[in-house]
Amino acid sequence: MSALVRLVAIGLALLLTQTVTRLVLPTLVQPDLVLVYALALGLRGGGVQGLVLAFGAGFIEDVLSASPPGLFALLCGTACAATRLLDRALYLRAAAPWAGYVAIYTLANFALVGAAQRMFAPGSEIAWSDLLARAPGAAITTALCAAPLLHIFRRLLVEADRDGSWPVLAAQGPRGRP
Amino acid sequence: MSELLRRFRFALCYFALASLCALGMASQKAPTELGFAPRLVLNLTLPLQRMVTVPVWELRDVWSDYVSLVGVREENERLRGRLARAEEENHQYREAILSSERFQKLSGFRAQRAVPMVPANVIHQDLSAWFQSLIIDQGAAAGIRPGMPVITESGVVGLVAGTTPGASKVLLVVDPQSRVDAYIERTRARGTVRGTSGHDCDFEYVPREENLEQGDVLLTSGLGTTYPKGLVVGRVASVDRKTSGLFLSAKITPAVDFSRLEEVFVILEQRQIPEEESFSSADEGLWPSAPKPGAAPKTAAATPPKPAPAKPAEKKPPVAPATPPASPPAPKPVPVEPAAPPSADPPE
Repeated sequence: MSALVRLVAIGLALLLTQTVTRLVLPTLVQPDLVLVYALALGLRGGGVQGLVLAFGAGFIEDVLSASPPGLFALLCGTACAATRLLDRALYLRAAAPWAGYVAIYTLANFALVGAAQRMFAPGSEIAWSDLLARAPGAAITTALCAAPLLHIFRRLLVEADRDGSWPVLAAQGPRGRP
Repeated sequence: MSELLRRFRFALCYFALASLCALGMASQKAPTELGFAPRLVLNLTLPLQRMVTVPVWELRDVWSDYVSLVGVREENERLRGRLARAEEENHQYREAILSSERFQKLSGFRAQRAVPMVPANVIHQDLSAWFQSLIIDQGAAAGIRPGMPVITESGVVGLVAGTTPGASKVLLVVDPQSRVDAYIERTRARGTVRGTSGHDCDFEYVPREENLEQGDVLLTSGLGTTYPKGLVVGRVASVDRKTSGLFLSAKITPAVDFSRLEEVFVILEQRQIPEEESFSSADEGLWPSAPKPGAAPKTAAATPPKPAPAKPAEKKPPVAPATPPASPPAPKPVPVEPAAPPSADPPE
């Protein structure tokens, strides 16, 4: 099985795991595993394949939720793009910086949710107070979940680069391989 | 140009996809049917979702139904305790209400009777299966003597068979040793009520020509030295007209439900047969219903002449039965009617 397929499978697994966490954990501490997946797809320089996968994961989340259509797709794509930009600068190879980055981005993601809703779908926005109440717990649990996943993602991305199913790195030129 | 596109491919892709998402969000004005892509995604992912969620729900049910029942068990025991206490309190309240109602009835009954009575509580039932007696919590110290009648607001209970200072044994009218001279209220037909050791009595020595019907009320005749006249004994349950013999017999259902007896009254009046010279003193002295003033304790109990002939369905106004006020002497030697109509007093 190519590494790309395994990445897709991991995405689906995280999606299903998130479904389980919705059922099991209280609202204030539910991690956003799809966001972790989108962020991880931007590691190692990312690529169009990663971006498409991130948008796709967000799209599935959109379909499976009552959000305005495209909201999570936009957020996941943005997360992937942000990681691609910040990967090398923040040295996201170790678990601690990665977890910190995920936590901060999760907080920022709440702000982006509010902003995107007010900008594109003003009738269905979530109150800022609700977003603020949920953000800290979600940031912590998302970071805790993201830390052990870093090694898996990096390994899969390297394998994908090797077997050619993730050919973006060669096209990246001098920015490509970290 | 192609180099430029390749260089900014990621950014272009991002902006294109982001624009699509923004358009999608902005174009959503009202709930509409899902498009092709969302439907496809939904159809593909829902089975997976179901595969995940159903076991989770099952596990959650198992957890909530079994594992987390440890606390529920303790809570259940605590709530059971509270429920038991509440039921006990409720039971006590109900019992208090019933007791209050009973005492109201008894006090009204006692007020109707002019004779001195002692209230007593039933504290014991007969142990043997062949005899019918009970023990009450008042005895010789309260003035109770053997032979005194015991009654309730429903009717005759029996007579005191023995006393101690603090308790008395009461022989019930349903005991086979018990005999009560009684008559039918409607026809005035006289006979003897005999206990059968069961829950009913026999009405014996009634002439065959008497007209007894089911439901007829029996009253004490006042003959003898035990029961005052006019107390309800029971009702005729069935009549047995034998093919031969001088008498018919009837089954009597006692007016008192002995199995539920809790409070009784002992009539503190021991009637005695007057001495022979009293017979010649005055006619009215023979009548228990019209005692001579001044001769109070020795109320007449001698056998009166045969009761007046039957006057079916004759209703008379209620008059105090046993010992009416002594002031107005009875105008004529006819037995007075019993007190309240017995039919208006259903057994408790």
